[in-house]
Amino acid sequence: MKPKVLVLKADGINRDEEMAYAFKIAGGDPKIVHVNELRNGRERLSNYNILALPGGFAYGDDIVSGKILAIELISFLGNEMKKFIKREDTAIIGVCNGFQVLVRTGLLPFRKIGQMQVTLTNNDSGHFECRWVNLKVEKSKCKFSEGLIGSKIFYPIAHGEGKFITDAETLKEIEDQGLVVFRYSDEKGNPTMEYPKNPNGALNSIAGICDVSGRILGLMPHPECFVRKEQHPNFRRGKVKVDGLPLIENIIKFVKGAK
Amino acid sequence: MIQKVRVQTAGMSTIKVYRLEGISVKEAKVLAEKLLCEEINQKYTINKPIVSAVFEIAYKPGVMNPEVASIIKASEDLGIKLLACDSSKEYLDKKVSLNFLTEYIVKEEPVTLLIGGKEGKIQIIPIRNMVDGSLMEASKDKLFLSLEEMRAIQKYFQSMDRDPTDLELETLAQTWSEHSGHKTFKAKLIVDGIEKKPLIERIKNEALKHSKNIVSAFEDNSGVMDFYDGFGICGKVETHNAPSAIEPYGGAMTGSGGVFRDIAATGQGAKNIASTDIFCFAPLDLPEEKLPKGCLPPEYLLKKVVSGVRDYGNRMGIPTNNGSVHFHQDFRAKPSVIVGAYGIIPKKYAKKGRPKLGDLIICVGGRTGRDGIHGATFSSGEMTERTIEVNSSAVQIGNAIEEKRMFDALLEARDKDLIRMVQDCGGGGFSSAIGEIGEDLGVSVDIKKAPLKYQGLSPWEIWMSESQERMIVVLDPKNLKSFENICKKYNTEVTVLGKFDGSKKLKVTFGKKIVSDLDMKFLHHGLPKRVLKAKREFRVQNSEFRIPETPKNQKEWASILEKVLSHGNVCSKEPIVRLYDHSVQGTCDLQPYSGKNLDGPNDSPVLRPLLDKKYGLVISHGLNPVFNNVDPYWGSIWACAEALSNFVAVGGDYKNAALVNNYIWPFPDEESLWSLDKSVTAVCDFMKAFKIPVISGKDSLSSTYRGVDGQVIKIPPVLCMSVLGKIKDTTKTVTSDFKKIDSTIVLIGKMEGSNVPKVDMKILPKTFDAIYYGIQNNKILSCHDVSEGGVISAVFEMCVGGSCGVKISLEKDKVFNETAGTFIVEVENEKIAKKLFQNAPFIILGETQKEPVVKVEGLFSVDVSKLKKAWQEPMRRLFS
Repeated sequence: MKPKVLVLKADGINRDEEMAYAFKIAGGDPKIVHVNELRNGRERLSNYNILALPGGFAYGDDIVSGKILAIELISFLGNEMKKFIKREDTAIIGVCNGFQVLVRTGLLPFRKIGQMQVTLTNNDSGHFECRWVNLKVEKSKCKFSEGLIGSKIFYPIAHGEGKFITDAETLKEIEDQGLVVFRYSDEKGNPTMEYPKNPNGALNSIAGICDVSGRILGLMPHPECFVRKEQHPNFRRGKVKVDGLPLIENIIKFVKGAK
Repeated sequence: MIQKVRVQTAGMSTIKVYRLEGISVKEAKVLAEKLLCEEINQKYTINKPIVSAVFEIAYKPGVMNPEVASIIKASEDLGIKLLACDSSKEYLDKKVSLNFLTEYIVKEEPVTLLIGGKEGKIQIIPIRNMVDGSLMEASKDKLFLSLEEMRAIQKYFQSMDRDPTDLELETLAQTWSEHSGHKTFKAKLIVDGIEKKPLIERIKNEALKHSKNIVSAFEDNSGVMDFYDGFGICGKVETHNAPSAIEPYGGAMTGSGGVFRDIAATGQGAKNIASTDIFCFAPLDLPEEKLPKGCLPPEYLLKKVVSGVRDYGNRMGIPTNNGSVHFHQDFRAKPSVIVGAYGIIPKKYAKKGRPKLGDLIICVGGRTGRDGIHGATFSSGEMTERTIEVNSSAVQIGNAIEEKRMFDALLEARDKDLIRMVQDCGGGGFSSAIGEIGEDLGVSVDIKKAPLKYQGLSPWEIWMSESQERMIVVLDPKNLKSFENICKKYNTEVTVLGKFDGSKKLKVTFGKKIVSDLDMKFLHHGLPKRVLKAKREFRVQNSEFRIPETPKNQKEWASILEKVLSHGNVCSKEPIVRLYDHSVQGTCDLQPYSGKNLDGPNDSPVLRPLLDKKYGLVISHGLNPVFNNVDPYWGSIWACAEALSNFVAVGGDYKNAALVNNYIWPFPDEESLWSLDKSVTAVCDFMKAFKIPVISGKDSLSSTYRGVDGQVIKIPPVLCMSVLGKIKDTTKTVTSDFKKIDSTIVLIGKMEGSNVPKVDMKILPKTFDAIYYGIQNNKILSCHDVSEGGVISAVFEMCVGGSCGVKISLEKDKVFNETAGTFIVEVENEKIAKKLFQNAPFIILGETQKEPVVKVEGLFSVDVSKLKKAWQEPMRRLFS
């Protein structure tokens, strides 16, 4: 059976269709579900294996990015989410706006709903950026990076509030526990603070993190927008490796294996 | 009672202020901690300053602040009910630009944030007894109608034996405005003494001869062309010049929002898949004293317009992946802001259903406020010094999220076959949308039902308001419940305003009061048909075309090259493009920039709107205000050729393209009408030569400025030609970056020598065919069309992408030649070039080389890196 994927929709979420497409070709059974349908009980998180929070501008990213949706999830779906993450056969991925929502719910990095410990704030450049970046895949607790660890991958980014920051203590804990999954890097795969290779000035070049279970992943770059060769801006210049699909496939593989 | 929460973010020079009405300090503290402030990098205070700020800037009461709805929603999710709220900013330094049309400096604490107001009265305008002078006084600054038109209205009401209401008069003015009525395009013309058919008729007649790919043309909010597998693709391009001239951020936003609604209001609703933006401004270094009174400086305009497009398009999740910026000093009073949108639609939904008796007229989306009143009539009038003061209500700030959720709802409703038709509430608001769809049957609506942003609007204001993010939907009554459920899911408001009643009248009530009882026939056909005269005026050409001296040595060549490459029309626009989300939807298979360092510009984006299919569409455009100004016929042909060349350069077959034409002109006096006539003739000749149709378009004929001292500034006439076309396989396309070292560089196409290059329309199809064949058969490695900046600029840009150099031979006078319809092409070797291009004129220029130098034998040799710096610098300075 194909694992069921709930692609969460809310006002202003706009990368839901490509997220659903990526999960579909990776072997999942995705459905785009509006948050109102979860609130009114017509849909239940418990019927799914994977929760995917796509990119966009949920509620206009008013106040700060992802905030309003995070509050909505905490207020109305807190218990359901707690149950969901307890199950061993589930996974959560939040990309871009979805990542912003995950840190603001407190699910990342320490699975404490309602307690926010890291943030994603305004890019150092002061504006939205749309470009491609290199990422180094770190050895981490993440359950979805099999086969990618140590490699350099290439993903598009498109955000204005992607700078990862936290206090020194939390940062140390994140690093020590192996929760950093992706770092912005140069062409050789070395983590970098140099703009625009690190497009937002993220602390320790952090582009993506997971929780301690390794089943919740959040990242600013868009793996779901690099699941076919032609999405690479230079596929005409020679062979390209489609870097986004393996990550999505790993999520599917993981929840299948965990059953 | 208002609680004032201030939030400071580390490293930011502004402080966010939230005013929360109707809650206690304790509740404000909960909101501060859970919603408004994040401990990690922010701190807050309640009802006391954080630091001493210089001043606070807020939106004026009544200007919609998009954040408000989110704050109210999130507070409610946290169990706290706000009566009202607002957000604003405190600034710590003085370097702040304030737009006084939408913002103000807060000096006094507001007592309440609720906007009250008494319902406005309905006024009767005693038009029947007016003399000509009073008729014109009633029209001025408000209705923008001519005396002849005012007289026609007078006569109608004399025959009705009553005077009109304010709403009726406003409705007529809006319907008959140039913006909605396209009076000039429908007028009979007398050009240099010879009678000619109306412009629109000529365009339509020619277009419909080439209908192979047409699904719908000239009859809907966008033109639809055939795509694959039962789908159509559609395109619409609009201008938003008048609002952008006085409030560029809001103007650009509402421009984007409006053109997206045109796509969404095509047939029973199309999905937006791409957006384009094209701007014309005065040169950025325009001396301050040359800026006319009441006008904003070009650098400010450019920056604000870009942010408007960015903030709206990005939030909508519609990729912005094509555009251009042009400069000419005659845009100093009125810029041209051109926004395009493209969509996909199943062909079975591509046509509007015919309304039936009893069908419901429904308003969906945002609420109605006082914003944007008189937008349609205002944009049809000339701009004067008074414009910025008198017409400030025509300006509004968009709320993209409101539009996004409405579109999501409409597409779901469409796919459940619930919708008869969708109509955009654009210029002219309800008046335009409902007046138009009701033409055949007649309608009765009660506008008291329309949900308002705040109380106190007069009926005519509700009726004319151009508040954004609203649409009119026509439904069979039996579908109402299902439609409401879908809208509820997406948090979109639905209101039934009225129905089709078969009266052949426009019956509008406000509760029980009748505010309009106009005959549809008079409304839509009572406008006196115009006969307009056009005459050629022989002017002494300005100095735009001095023939420059040929550089004499390496140093002079290098310096002139840098100058050309750093010119606003030619320089790299990458810093702008990177502000726009062009990757959203995951559809872009040929991106705006490619090459080794992803900084080589491409001619057009290639999109795969259905991710699991390999076919796609290409979007491109062309315009040249400078050439158009000198020679409206050949300048227009140039624009058409440039647009189509951009499509062909990436791999398009011109036979599968459709055109969208936009005429952005000075007010059509005899001289400007003469050039407009020439331009339309050019477009018709172009359609004929290439056997492809124009399927949509728009005119904007008001770009003249009149200063109080008698100063008149007309913009250069602009024909903006856009192309949408389909291709079978998105992988059979090429980018512009050089791919190999020692490969052969070919210049293909017929080059013309004159000041305005006269594109040879007999040769061009052959050139196009040769390139298409070469790309389809993988013989062409890279291709770039020659346009502004000429041959050498195209070659240089290909070097940037390829991170390499070239060694070429080129005659002196061809270095900067700008003939549209000529291309630089990279092929493996000379033999292939000779075989491929036997039916089209070509010259072998030379070869690519590893050394990053542009070397033209016998003339010059310049480092690519040096030129690249000059080429990238101008926009980097502004946007990085």
